[in-house]
Amino acid sequence: MNDPSSLPLTPKGNNNLQTNTNTAAKKLQAFQNSKFMKLLRPILGVVVSLYIVFRLYQVLVVHQEYGADTWTRLLISGLIIGGVYSLIAIGYTLVYGILFMINFAHGEVMMFGAYAGLYSFWAFKIIPIAGDPPTNFLNAYPILAIILAFLIGMTVSATMGFFLEKIAYRPLRKAPRLVPLISAIGASIFLQNAAMLLFSPQLRDVTNPDILRRGAGWTIVINGSNVILPYTGVFTFILSILLLVGLYILVRKSKLGRAMRATALDKKTAALMGVDVDSTISRTFIISGALAGAAGVMWGIHNGLVYYFVGFIPGIKAFTAAVLGGIGNLPGAMVGGLLLGIVESMGPAALGIDFQLKDVLSFLILIFVLTFRPSGLLGEVLSEEKV
Amino acid sequence: MKAMKFLAVFMVLAMLLTACGQAAATEAPVAATEAPVAATEAPVAGGAPEACADALGCAVFEAGDVIKIGMGAPMTGGNASYGIDISQGATIAMSDAGDIEGWTFALDAQDDGGTAEGGAAVANKFAADPAIVAVAGHIFSGATAAAMPIYEKVGIPMLSPSATNPPLTASGSTVFNRIAFTDLNQGNNAADFIYNTLGVKKMAVLHDGSDYGKGLADIVAAQFVKDGGEVVIEQAITPGESDYTAVLSTVAAKTPDAIYFGGYTAEGAVLVNQMKTTGLENAKFFGCDGTYGEDFLTRTGANGEGAYASIAPASPDSDAKLTFNAAYLEKFGKEAGSLSPYTWAGYDAAAALAATVKQVAVVADGKLYIPRAALVAAVRSLSNYVGLSGTFTCQSNGECNTDKPQFVVVKDGAWTNAE
Repeated sequence: MNDPSSLPLTPKGNNNLQTNTNTAAKKLQAFQNSKFMKLLRPILGVVVSLYIVFRLYQVLVVHQEYGADTWTRLLISGLIIGGVYSLIAIGYTLVYGILFMINFAHGEVMMFGAYAGLYSFWAFKIIPIAGDPPTNFLNAYPILAIILAFLIGMTVSATMGFFLEKIAYRPLRKAPRLVPLISAIGASIFLQNAAMLLFSPQLRDVTNPDILRRGAGWTIVINGSNVILPYTGVFTFILSILLLVGLYILVRKSKLGRAMRATALDKKTAALMGVDVDSTISRTFIISGALAGAAGVMWGIHNGLVYYFVGFIPGIKAFTAAVLGGIGNLPGAMVGGLLLGIVESMGPAALGIDFQLKDVLSFLILIFVLTFRPSGLLGEVLSEEKV
Repeated sequence: MKAMKFLAVFMVLAMLLTACGQAAATEAPVAATEAPVAATEAPVAGGAPEACADALGCAVFEAGDVIKIGMGAPMTGGNASYGIDISQGATIAMSDAGDIEGWTFALDAQDDGGTAEGGAAVANKFAADPAIVAVAGHIFSGATAAAMPIYEKVGIPMLSPSATNPPLTASGSTVFNRIAFTDLNQGNNAADFIYNTLGVKKMAVLHDGSDYGKGLADIVAAQFVKDGGEVVIEQAITPGESDYTAVLSTVAAKTPDAIYFGGYTAEGAVLVNQMKTTGLENAKFFGCDGTYGEDFLTRTGANGEGAYASIAPASPDSDAKLTFNAAYLEKFGKEAGSLSPYTWAGYDAAAALAATVKQVAVVADGKLYIPRAALVAAVRSLSNYVGLSGTFTCQSNGECNTDKPQFVVVKDGAWTNAE
């Protein structure tokens, strides 16, 4: 991450700070190309890889600790959480692709979406619907209720994204790149504390409609053991994939998408060609906010707990996922998110280590990717495309 | 070049700021230790009692001041019900404590989040406040361990209603005392109960990695093996998450008959809910005094049916206890004990401290003097104190309770006696 020139997208026509970092980058490059580093890197890589292979062999072949049923369960957990990570990661990547800044308040935008979902379900639950037996709106029209909850959550988060950009980032558009980053961290802390004061610091439970009961699901029998495929999980996963595909089509095929790509490539030239850069940036924030809002509502539906800090950890993880896949790259964020989810759920079991170490594992992977492939797993595909 | 200059100025400023910040951080506790000494210097000249002559000095109260008893507790977050409940119990103790010739007592409950960092921060705040004479807490063991050395320096005695981690009393602290049972007691009895009474032979042990949770889980695992049982897996989980399906799936692969969890409600409730979807629907969940309470019931619903917990034994309903229960219900609109098992202990800790303060306080020249060293010694030598949750006599290490835990189970949506 210290080496901006190796990132897929280097801002063009930048200020003096850039040349400053470039000399530092050159020094770093020289160090990285020195004989010592050239030798050290592969040796380190081989040692770590050998150790990992040895652990995997121990757990998978020698001890055979877990059967196919356990691996399936782990895969399911990983895919579900990975889908949510992907959806949040897309927000980081979209904004980075256009503004070259990390929107650290993105997790908080998701948190507000989660609260919107929580309160929507809560409100639907108290709307009575006459019938035999008398029921409520949430269970009488569950599909409508879910769609409405998502719309409300996405609207709230999209509005938040819009104003976040207007208030915290737009005035700093011409400032050095570090400044909006600090502003983003400030916005994140502000939003967390605002949520704590608005919604109280206690944990809240999300009431799902009966058709999406947490804990219920389809049962598959593997190795004579019941593996449950939870409804909420399947719903979450499918919806994230649909939203991601929809976004990809939007960016690739629509007029707005073309404007976004043009702005990402070169803001000045795009403006000369008649693209309204400011509104394109605003819309990017609206889209990334809406996706984060959807992720927040899903988080509430699947995990069931919402509080003011709920966006922080997923936010950090999604940022990791975005960098893992190559920041600025849409399919990269998706691949990074799913990969991170799977590594977190299967990694500790496969290596036979404590589950408390799963975060260590995911950040270790981040370090490895940044060391051996600084542009991320899919990063280079994008840079070729763009140049 | 402008940007370069800006950057240079910014960095110099940043370095200065960091330097100041560090200096301030190291100075704070020192200043805190000096505060009470400084406060006593003036009165000594003005004819203060002899008890104030030592290094720790006295807390001095002018007419109209309030004597404050501190409490560090988790008031926010997933375990807030403990802090809220225990501080509410202690508040009632403060109004029951009466006054010393007009000086009344008040509880100063601060949020330490139940964490070590929060515990140290609250302790520094209390140490710097000359009106704090004693601390009824802290509530969680991790926060207590971090706070102890800070109170030790300024001579503020502690009487914790709920910090159960065994090593707390082994550190040789003169200020720390507790009326909670220890986890050595809780863990050994829980393991025996699981093995003998419930007939579980294969058990998985999970904990949240906290001082309290890990300490308790280790004790239970060791005793369970000693009893002849098999601990099939011991795992640490990351506290504060809402998805433990992955760790539960690996636990399920070992087919345990029961899961013991050392930790708190926030994670315990999530574990219980997700056990149903990860192939552990037939395993029993056995929690501890950290997973008891109304919050656990509301968060687990039907999934919580059959979950166990261990709590401080309910004392017989004395008149005093019934009066307290009525006062609690009237003041806070909830049954006493529904939020946590420690509300009575919270009352006892605060009331015992207030009673001890009364013993050592001296009134002279219209001022109230509370000698800190004498108060520390008086709390340690508490003997045959009759409280709502039992009768307490402190041993020389600060252990004031040798009770065994009582086991409870969720039956028809309510905690009921399991024995």
